[in-house]
Amino acid sequence: MNYNSDDLIIAEIRKHNQMALRELYRAHYPMVRNLITNNSGSEQEAKDVYQEAVIVFYEKLQRADFVLTCKIKTYLYAVCRRLWLKRLAEKKMYTGNIESLETFLGVEDEVNDVEEKALAFKKMQVALGGLGEPCKTIITDFYIGDLGMEEIAIKFGYTNSDNAKNQKYKCLQRLKKLFFADDKRN
Amino acid sequence: MSERDLIELLDRQSRGDLSHQETIQLEEALKHPEMRAAAEKHGVLLSQLHAYGKRQALHTMMDSLHETIDEQKPKGKRVFLRKAYWPIAGIAASIALISVIFTWSLNQSVQDKMEEYKELRLEVQRIEKSQNAIVKEIKEKEKAIQPSRYSGTGFFISSKGYLVTSYHVVKDADSVYIENGAVGNHKAEVIYLDALSDLALLKVVSDTFEMKTSIPFLIRTAEADLGEEVYTLGFPREDIVFGEGSISALTGYRQNPTAYQISIPVNPGNSGGPLLNSKGDLIGVISGIQTKLTGAAFAVKSTSLYEVVKNDSIHETIPLPRQNTMRGNRVDQVKKWKDLVVMVRVYN
Repeated sequence: MNYNSDDLIIAEIRKHNQMALRELYRAHYPMVRNLITNNSGSEQEAKDVYQEAVIVFYEKLQRADFVLTCKIKTYLYAVCRRLWLKRLAEKKMYTGNIESLETFLGVEDEVNDVEEKALAFKKMQVALGGLGEPCKTIITDFYIGDLGMEEIAIKFGYTNSDNAKNQKYKCLQRLKKLFFADDKRN
Repeated sequence: MSERDLIELLDRQSRGDLSHQETIQLEEALKHPEMRAAAEKHGVLLSQLHAYGKRQALHTMMDSLHETIDEQKPKGKRVFLRKAYWPIAGIAASIALISVIFTWSLNQSVQDKMEEYKELRLEVQRIEKSQNAIVKEIKEKEKAIQPSRYSGTGFFISSKGYLVTSYHVVKDADSVYIENGAVGNHKAEVIYLDALSDLALLKVVSDTFEMKTSIPFLIRTAEADLGEEVYTLGFPREDIVFGEGSISALTGYRQNPTAYQISIPVNPGNSGGPLLNSKGDLIGVISGIQTKLTGAAFAVKSTSLYEVVKNDSIHETIPLPRQNTMRGNRVDQVKKWKDLVVMVRVYN
């Protein structure tokens, strides 16, 4: 399969076609890598920024009201560029005014969105990490993997699904504590 | 209904396998504010978990993709200079070469001048050495009787056994002994050396040391006045010797701002002795003389001493005297000071 047209790619991604997303990812990475490695960034940083941009694009596409007014390439480039400038500013390596730069694409929302979501992701990652096993797997299996309680009971060797439910509830309470711990402190 | 049951119901509701009766039960439960709050919290956590799950999946997918991309890294293109550019490149290169050589030679000549200056400074240092070194060198034949190599003067600044002397008195010391009529003979340890200000701090280490009186003088933190009458006590010989004069300049040798010039006749052995004002307060430490000038001696200002004592690199806190309890005229002051001034014997 070859997705040349942006419209086709967008349509396929909206249908949750993984192949289309892969194709998109593969197609534009070299551009972003050049952008970032030529501007005092490393390959790893390029990868991070690019993945954030792809995720934000992907999530935008899930909304029906999102209309792309330019080429995907341009959009990704703008988001990455802005994200990278922001990172550089945080590292005190870029002192220019980001606000004054190309506002025509209106990607500020995206950039702020990216950071918010990346933060929430990190927070959940830390909370789940703090949970330890088997709690982490029980929670992710049930709530993310959509596994049934019976399957989980079998997987973890619980004698019946009630025991598994008990365990799940305990794990959930602990996760709540870990995840909301920061909010309470604020 | 417990929170556990509520969450169980909510989870089943989200999967759509709730019976009619259970739905009513849940709705009933949600009328309670606490239950509602718990349900909302659960909802927030779940939406966060879902977002996390989606993102995690995307990251995993992209990371695996990334590995395949990394393999197809574009190879760096080699850019060759076109033949037409060779002459220009040659000129540019030769200009670069010439400027490099020029800068280098310029640097060289600057360095030469520095060298001249350095040599001069070396001489100054040598002169300074001869100036400062009024450490009494005991002759070889006397060594049998008196094995100490050098001696100077020192004085107590704390009843805990801390003393001040000159850096050049104790700089080569293997061991240091202090002695006077009041405290006797004790071993001391050098705890701080400051070559720049020519000051050293000693501490008595022998167990038998005891000092009954408190320190009756102050270390002046302000500069003395020109013409102020000053005196000193020291050990240029086996007995304590008094000398008096006045502050003749507010700078030391070669305009050194951390020292005074004084008109007290001092001799080798006086180094490290206290310079005192009419109240008996410490205003300096005798450091040296100028050899080609009669009657010119130098003393390090007490302000420098104060800085040295307060220095962070000294890990011991030295309790400094707080008030002047000297009374009476100079003779009375000297009686008190006599017990505080010691002969510093240096062995190496």
